[in-house]
Amino acid sequence: MSTTVADRPAALSVRGLSKTFQGQQALRQVALDLQPGEIHCLLGQNGSGKSTLIKILAGYHTPDPGSEASVFGTEVEVGPHMAEKSGLRFIHQDLGMIDSLSVADNMSLGGSFPGRFWLSDRQHVRHSQAILDSYGVKVDAAATIGELSLAARTLVAVVRALHFGPAKDAILVLDEPTAALAEADKQLLFTLLREVQARGQTILYVTHLLQEVFELGDRVTILRNGSVVATRPLAGLDHDSLIELILGRKLEALYPDHEESAGVAVLQAEHLAGGNVKDLSLSVRAGEIVGVVGLMGSGAEDVPHLLFGSRPRAAGVVRVDGRDVPPDAPAASIRAGIAFSPGERKRLAVLGEWSVRENITLPRLKGLGRLRWMSRRAEGRDVAPYVAKYGVHPRDPEMRLASLSGGNQQKVVIARWMRSGAHVFLLEEPTAGVDVGAKRAIYDAILQAAAGGSAILLMTSDFDEAASMCDRVLVLRDGVLGASVPRAEATTDRLLGESISRSRSKDSLHV
Amino acid sequence: MSSLETQEAPARETLQDDAATSPRRPTGVARLLAGAQLNKFSGLLILAALIIVFGLLRPETFLTLANARSILATQAIVAVLAIGLLFPLAAGAFDLSAAQNLGFSAVLCGVLLTKQDLPVPLAILVTLVVGGVIGAFNGFLVAVIGIDSFIATLGTTSLLLAGSQILAEGAFIGPLDDSFLAITDQKVFTLPIIVLYVAVLALLAWYVIEHSPLGRRIYATGANPEAAHLSGVATKRLVFFSLVTSAVVASAAGVLLASTLGSVSESIGPEYLLPAFAAVFLGTTQLKPGRFNVGGTLIAILLLGTGVAGLQLLGAPIWVTALFNGIALIVAVGAVLMVKRVQERRAVRRAAQAARQVAASTPVASTTA
Repeated sequence: MSTTVADRPAALSVRGLSKTFQGQQALRQVALDLQPGEIHCLLGQNGSGKSTLIKILAGYHTPDPGSEASVFGTEVEVGPHMAEKSGLRFIHQDLGMIDSLSVADNMSLGGSFPGRFWLSDRQHVRHSQAILDSYGVKVDAAATIGELSLAARTLVAVVRALHFGPAKDAILVLDEPTAALAEADKQLLFTLLREVQARGQTILYVTHLLQEVFELGDRVTILRNGSVVATRPLAGLDHDSLIELILGRKLEALYPDHEESAGVAVLQAEHLAGGNVKDLSLSVRAGEIVGVVGLMGSGAEDVPHLLFGSRPRAAGVVRVDGRDVPPDAPAASIRAGIAFSPGERKRLAVLGEWSVRENITLPRLKGLGRLRWMSRRAEGRDVAPYVAKYGVHPRDPEMRLASLSGGNQQKVVIARWMRSGAHVFLLEEPTAGVDVGAKRAIYDAILQAAAGGSAILLMTSDFDEAASMCDRVLVLRDGVLGASVPRAEATTDRLLGESISRSRSKDSLHV
Repeated sequence: MSSLETQEAPARETLQDDAATSPRRPTGVARLLAGAQLNKFSGLLILAALIIVFGLLRPETFLTLANARSILATQAIVAVLAIGLLFPLAAGAFDLSAAQNLGFSAVLCGVLLTKQDLPVPLAILVTLVVGGVIGAFNGFLVAVIGIDSFIATLGTTSLLLAGSQILAEGAFIGPLDDSFLAITDQKVFTLPIIVLYVAVLALLAWYVIEHSPLGRRIYATGANPEAAHLSGVATKRLVFFSLVTSAVVASAAGVLLASTLGSVSESIGPEYLLPAFAAVFLGTTQLKPGRFNVGGTLIAILLLGTGVAGLQLLGAPIWVTALFNGIALIVAVGAVLMVKRVQERRAVRRAAQAARQVAASTPVASTTA
């Protein structure tokens, strides 16, 4: 599986690809070779040129003159029509699905409908179902996309991409497809991708997550500062050497060390219920970092929302410093000292059109300027130290938030809540879609808050993160506490095992 | 001052104009508009140009104090209505009923004065309170029940029209009492006093919307209601409040209109809807681009008022007003969208450049404090 027959020409070969934006070189003489039938991973920090490369392949950017490309040995011109001519199909993070239409309709979008004049729903669904079944994707073709899980939608998107356009050798390009998927759901996608690979198709897989690279990839190409640092088979690489290639130096450790120093219980919840949570009691002490993990549907994804009041609490009591926090009232929770950084950053956390400054000050607007008169200058002065402290880049508080990278947006959200004076932090997927360097900055901020006596609840689908960052990890299963794993025993395998055991034993491939 | 602006704008434009590297180059118009956007005072430039053009064409009638006074006085009612509309629009809600509310309030005030013989202050107070109740009704429909504001206020508009017709019974109401007319029939430093009212209201709205925490929260509600809610902003309460505000201000505009006209009928009101919305949307291209703001709205009103007055002095037919306002609204909203698109492209490019600089200079991990 690692190497393919050498006499076949590369599925895609690109040479001498450069791209200059206003005298800044985004890509320098990049070469990329995809062997037929391989899963090739593309790695690099934000700003390394990964997305520029993908955009050139997709025909969105035109490269500087002098680049060459060939598809299965045939020369093609790098430009707007390359993707279509060479069978490149892209799956972007937002999938491009229409929620209100059925799976079958979505699969036909941009492609072909069976039947020429008369569209029969039943025939159409049957046809789409047959395609899905042939890949072993257990999704009902008649279902509406909106009612499917993100995992199921991703699977449909992959199958759709393969059946888009004329059937020939496809090269599938996936751009961080797992950024919002839970661990078990990722496995579903990987199973499908291996099936696709087994059929001889080629996959270019762009990701931030090193584990995925090792799990899935045959070879990896690493970009740094616009140049290819290495293209290697994964067989000879380990985790640390990969990080070294990405950063160009050793990373001390992804997860900073920290001392356990827990004080009195600050956040308490008793018999909490709502969403998928059936009955959960927990307590987080000052200075403690408590992890919450679980598979999709286990209730873990509801815990921070229930505590904060952004999802209806069906039963139970939440207390901060011994005082009750009313249900379903985020404003009251904030007054009690709770901060919540939601996982769906774009929808729930940030105001994209606003400046960094305004995003940071929103929860606490008092004291910005004199006599209740908010002045931009006073606000800017207030915000500057937070922008500096949390390493928001660029360091300009007037930047429009949507123009920052995901990692920097997350730093802004962290800065917002640190400034708000909260002492209970509910963090949902704080490092999703964030590159390795920014991750470390966010972990440092979390530890600093803990060291300052804050109580922290970290809900994450990254088991490695939970195992490394938390003093204690609560594993949810079917809406109740499945296990409470202390720091000393927490490993990725243990957490995964605890979340799968007993529950989901029926048919874990079913979505 | 206008020459200063023109000199500054092209300099900034060349600094940031990197459209040549973009794959899909924005059209010339969009780039021109983006340039105008960078010069946030383009409205004032166009205003100056209009004054010069009309001044050259009709020096005896256009360049007179009387004409300036007349423009200000006729636009004052639109200005009041538009300032009120800023609140719900900033909060992400439409109040289409504001203009009909203005008409209804004018009729109501007239009826209270003539048929009920209420003293002037009491009649005004009752009218404003009823306006507030209408706003609360809108707020209830939108913030509590959850009807889309566009539809809810469209419905209220029809209710208010019915209300006007019931009150007026098809007749003109008036003449209204001299003491009531005196509210607007005065001059301050040669300017109609109604201009002063607009100035006071504008200052108040400017503080609340643009310089108070309340205003910031209103904007947040409009920008991303869910994120604002999770940041502790009482979004529903603010939508409710903003609809009540626009209704009370629309009522006040109705009272002022009744006072300037001297007699009212059930048919007044709707003609103010379009100019007010045109001004507010055109205003988002000025001073604080992309945001509903008071100063931009006032500039837009002056621009529209001057344009219409000038065309009328040139002998343009009556329909020119409607045509001019319609074009202004469409162009304004279209311009906002195109400018946004150009800005987004620029921002993406700038961010990419910034990211490359980081990658080139320092490794990201070491930026932590």
